[in-house]
Amino acid sequence: MVKHRRKLRICLAASAGGHLSQLLKITEDRHSHDIFCITTTDMIRTKLQKLDKVYVVGESNRQHPIRTAKVLFKCLKVVLQQRPDVVISTGASVGCITCYIGKLLGAKVVWIDSIANVERVSLSGRMVRYIADLFLVQWPKLAEKHSNFEYVGTAI
Amino acid sequence: MIFLTVGTQFPFDRLVKLIDEMSGQNGFKEKIFAQIGHSSYQPRNFESVPSLESHLFAKYMREASCAIGHAGIGTITMALDYNKPLLVMPRLKKYGEAVNNHQLDIARKFEQDGYLLAAYDVGELPAKIEKLKSFVPGKRQSQAKALAERISIFLNELSKSKSN
Repeated sequence: MVKHRRKLRICLAASAGGHLSQLLKITEDRHSHDIFCITTTDMIRTKLQKLDKVYVVGESNRQHPIRTAKVLFKCLKVVLQQRPDVVISTGASVGCITCYIGKLLGAKVVWIDSIANVERVSLSGRMVRYIADLFLVQWPKLAEKHSNFEYVGTAI
Repeated sequence: MIFLTVGTQFPFDRLVKLIDEMSGQNGFKEKIFAQIGHSSYQPRNFESVPSLESHLFAKYMREASCAIGHAGIGTITMALDYNKPLLVMPRLKKYGEAVNNHQLDIARKFEQDGYLLAAYDVGELPAKIEKLKSFVPGKRQSQAKALAERISIFLNELSKSKSN
């Protein structure tokens, strides 16, 4: 008999565009868990209608430190409020920020490095590598670079 | 209709401007519709919007005969999903168009595998646009299932350990 499993609260964190579309393609099993999403713009709300909650925190990148600080506080607020069991992210900086906040508050971290990184794992990925409980890459060659990197396929 | 799309985070005037100039010289037989993000250059010869809601983005891609865009994964994924001929020009760091040159790697890789055409600078664009008219993109077998399953296994293990 299948043992009763507790529903997990899952945080999907990714910037809008390619990062998010990859993430949605690999997290299709949305009924067995409570899923909410942290992303960067409002434009994708219709795409995320099936999810319970969507939090829009704005764009951030390393060229805009003040904007990034604002995004960090917004992410912190959401994670404190939602207390996810696991953060799943494909990047970029908003994903990296949420993974760190989640980890500090006791969540597990799943990182799927974006398929856009062909020759080298993304900067965000290199930062999250230290705290990830599962680290997936989308190019077989990248999996050779570190013993904790796994390649099982691509999101697209 | 030709769908021109350059993402939303950084400007990509180089591509928008050239397509506009070509369009002004009647370089295209079809109408162009563009999503140009925060490009500071405003095209004069076709209709454009800064950004599109995802369902509208999908609609334009579906209705387009072909697409021209930056080498962003969102754009590439959707073109492959709808089996559209796509010509990409990678954003480059040296022009302030991206934080690094990852679009260059992705364009090379997907071009090599026959999924799209790529122009690596504006000089190559006109010839590649000509080629795009007869380009048939390779069909990509999605491997999303394997990746989704791996994540499910992880989540199941986690869920089990939480209920103990």
